Amino acid sequence: MSPSFHSTEVDGIPALFAHRPGPMRAGLVFRVGVADETLASTGITHLTEHLALHRQGLADYHFNGVTKATFTHFLVEGDQREVVAYLNGVCSSLVDLPMDRLEVEKEILRTEAASRNPGQLPLWRYGAQGHGLISYPEWGLGPLRPDDVRAWADQWFTRDNAVLWIAGEQFPAGLDLKLPAGAWRPLPPVTSALPTTPAYFSDGKGGVLADFQVTESIAAEAYAAVLERELFRALRQEGGWSYTAATDYVARGDGYAMLTAFADALPKKQDAVLGGFVDVLAKLQVGRIEQADLDAARSRLDAALTAPDAAAKRLPGAAENYLTGRPVVELDQVRAELWSLTPAHLHAVATEAAGTALLQVPSGHGAKWAGFVPAPTQSTGAVAGRSFPSVAKDGTALVVGPEGVSFTAPDLYVTVRYRDCAAKLSWPDGGRRLIGTDGLTVEIEPAQYGLDAQTMAGVDAAVHPSATVWLPPRQNRPQVRTSATPAAATNAVVSGSGKGKRPTTERTRAQTVVLVVFLLLSIPWSGLALLVTAFGASDPQTSTSDWIVVTVFFWVVAALLAWPAIRVLRRTRRR
Amino acid sequence: MPPAAPLPPPDFDIVSAHPEVGWLRQAAASGDWPSIRQYVASLPPGTDRTFVVKAVGEVAGVEHPLRQLVHAAPDDVLALTLLGTRLVEMGSEIRTAKGAEHVSREQFAAFHEHLRQAEPLLIRATALDPTFDPAWAERLSTAKGLQLGQNEARRRYDRLVAAHPGHFTGQARLLQQLCPKWGGNWDDAHAFAQECLRTAQPGSLNAGLLAELHLERWLDAGRGDKGAAYLRQPHVLAELVHAADCSVAHPAFRRTHGWVTVQGCFAALFALAGDQQRAAWHFRALGNLATSYPWGYLGNPAQSYTKYRDAALARG
Repeated sequence: MSPSFHSTEVDGIPALFAHRPGPMRAGLVFRVGVADETLASTGITHLTEHLALHRQGLADYHFNGVTKATFTHFLVEGDQREVVAYLNGVCSSLVDLPMDRLEVEKEILRTEAASRNPGQLPLWRYGAQGHGLISYPEWGLGPLRPDDVRAWADQWFTRDNAVLWIAGEQFPAGLDLKLPAGAWRPLPPVTSALPTTPAYFSDGKGGVLADFQVTESIAAEAYAAVLERELFRALRQEGGWSYTAATDYVARGDGYAMLTAFADALPKKQDAVLGGFVDVLAKLQVGRIEQADLDAARSRLDAALTAPDAAAKRLPGAAENYLTGRPVVELDQVRAELWSLTPAHLHAVATEAAGTALLQVPSGHGAKWAGFVPAPTQSTGAVAGRSFPSVAKDGTALVVGPEGVSFTAPDLYVTVRYRDCAAKLSWPDGGRRLIGTDGLTVEIEPAQYGLDAQTMAGVDAAVHPSATVWLPPRQNRPQVRTSATPAAATNAVVSGSGKGKRPTTERTRAQTVVLVVFLLLSIPWSGLALLVTAFGASDPQTSTSDWIVVTVFFWVVAALLAWPAIRVLRRTRRR
Repeated sequence: MPPAAPLPPPDFDIVSAHPEVGWLRQAAASGDWPSIRQYVASLPPGTDRTFVVKAVGEVAGVEHPLRQLVHAAPDDVLALTLLGTRLVEMGSEIRTAKGAEHVSREQFAAFHEHLRQAEPLLIRATALDPTFDPAWAERLSTAKGLQLGQNEARRRYDRLVAAHPGHFTGQARLLQQLCPKWGGNWDDAHAFAQECLRTAQPGSLNAGLLAELHLERWLDAGRGDKGAAYLRQPHVLAELVHAADCSVAHPAFRRTHGWVTVQGCFAALFALAGDQQRAAWHFRALGNLATSYPWGYLGNPAQSYTKYRDAALARG
């Protein structure tokens, strides 16, 4: 058995090479991503990636950049000369970023963000830090100055924190990858906002979504494929409750993988989709794994492992493994493990998954009945401090103290302590929103609660400037309610503070409808187009499953993107 | 002619109609699980086995040994279902059968808590053996009590009848779910009851669900004169007569579990509609057997039964 790829080094950067006929593919991977940022600096890695690619201009070969949770990829496909030019150009740009493009690239990123919605699961699982940050908008872009971006690039985009991979007929000559020396960066800690699992939260309108933390393994990957078959069979073929049922498997880099499952639902059929989803999970958890499903999953995975360019397609994942200090497993070994799988192995994965599940059910539904614990939507107590009752006399109040701020309502506390404040959003009209690292938010509307200037100044001073995010003026300031009704009080509880609040842009109803229709139609197709035009199956979005067949991957992308699109309605503050 | 001796009072003890229920209760109370297991296994294929778990689930205190059983053997489908059923029964006892407006918040909370404890056991049971009909039938009860939704109830029913076409208890529970009081509507409920009749085996109880439907509608119409007016409509009466002919009045009819309720519905409805002759026929078939449904709908169950029976037999 010969190794499927070779290791070498270029300008101090470890390099992996695999033979592949046809056009050359290559990638430069850095161990940095959104999870390394803070809530108030989100977007800085993505901005660095964009700036580094600007000088590539309108090159007619395929290139791209991808900023993920813990890795940033620069990718290219072309002839040897083009690949060398691209890689050299990226490196020279990284040490001399075109800062004259800073504001333009920020605008481009804001436009890109409008078509991207990674969903709420990371936020609820990890909180407003680390891996949870991919649920949030790129709030940090606004105040970034050239020095900030330069410092970020110097810290993370170094030759000691990078791996190069190349798939082609021969290793190219002429590479000149001049990156500064730095330090190898370990993975960010995996935080948790879930005291207990399996847990659930209610949000969204379109379907049922779940993710599970499982030990990274070929068994878990096969389990994902079997789960998808079961969901499709139960919810689409037998019940006709869903149109799309899909799963995804993404290695997190720390020895665990996140398994995501999704089933869409018409509003009227959400209850049955939820019930069917729960029953599918239960079936696999009790060990009823159909041999035929395992065989089908195995054939699919093995086809990818034995494809002519299988070794080349594994390079982006191998590079990620290298960067996290994990062994790079040879194809033959993966295949041997795949063929030794039995239903018992998948049952073990199902059991592990059951214990770590986080379920997102449509608004108005719950999953307590199925044994899932509600994910926290409130704090255990309020801070000590001065209480400012709502001027609407609706029973709510803000408590402002030296430790932090609490929103209180009968039997409800939402607290953000300054020391755990991931970000403070600030509007010029005086409105503030504190977001705790646990993802809970407290809205501070001074007029609503009669907060004086001195108190507000105290709040502003208590949050570290690096956690403060200034946002542009709001078109619609929240109205001050002056009459108390039970409905108003309930609304305050629901919309005033809680979890998963994202910044909103006021839109007219017509705009909202247009936006939603547009997103519903465009996102699945842009997902497909991206796949087809970029790197096809070598896209490194999934580090150890690069070889999953394109059709399946399309379904996953379409499913994961189409569903959260509906959530845009919720991100948009209604007039 | 000398006055006839007074008829005996109605007998609401299910054991009188089905002695095996008495035996099952005794076996459960004495922890004789092997015998119960053997009994379930001995039932002919296609039997609606809900009566077994219901009989055991009504035995006070049986949850304790059942918990031990489930703890020792988490994959024991029968034990999971029995414990789930017992918890549903305990919750229902707390809730009582009264209208929601007469049930306190605390009672509802305890009811829901019991159902939430039962449901994961039943989920596990149906996951392990999707053909075990009593577990699905109980999950129709939990879906209704926990208000999981019309489609979810329908989905559970579909899973049940996939292995047990024409499952009477399943149909009866889904029919309740389809009534407006549980979030459905009369059109769906009526259509479903007609579907039960259409697909029923001749002489089976299933067609009798049309009687249950009309009893619910009689209640909804406001009982009394309004209720009687509803039942006296020619199409309603014709439907009732046809449903009886297909079920309890059919030559192939056998007195399977549930028959006292179905025949009681026909007796009550014909009596309420003033068709004493038909009512009398059903009362004679009942002997003095009765169940709380439908007679609880008519007032004091025993008094109502006696009143309508005596009136019917005097003239019919």
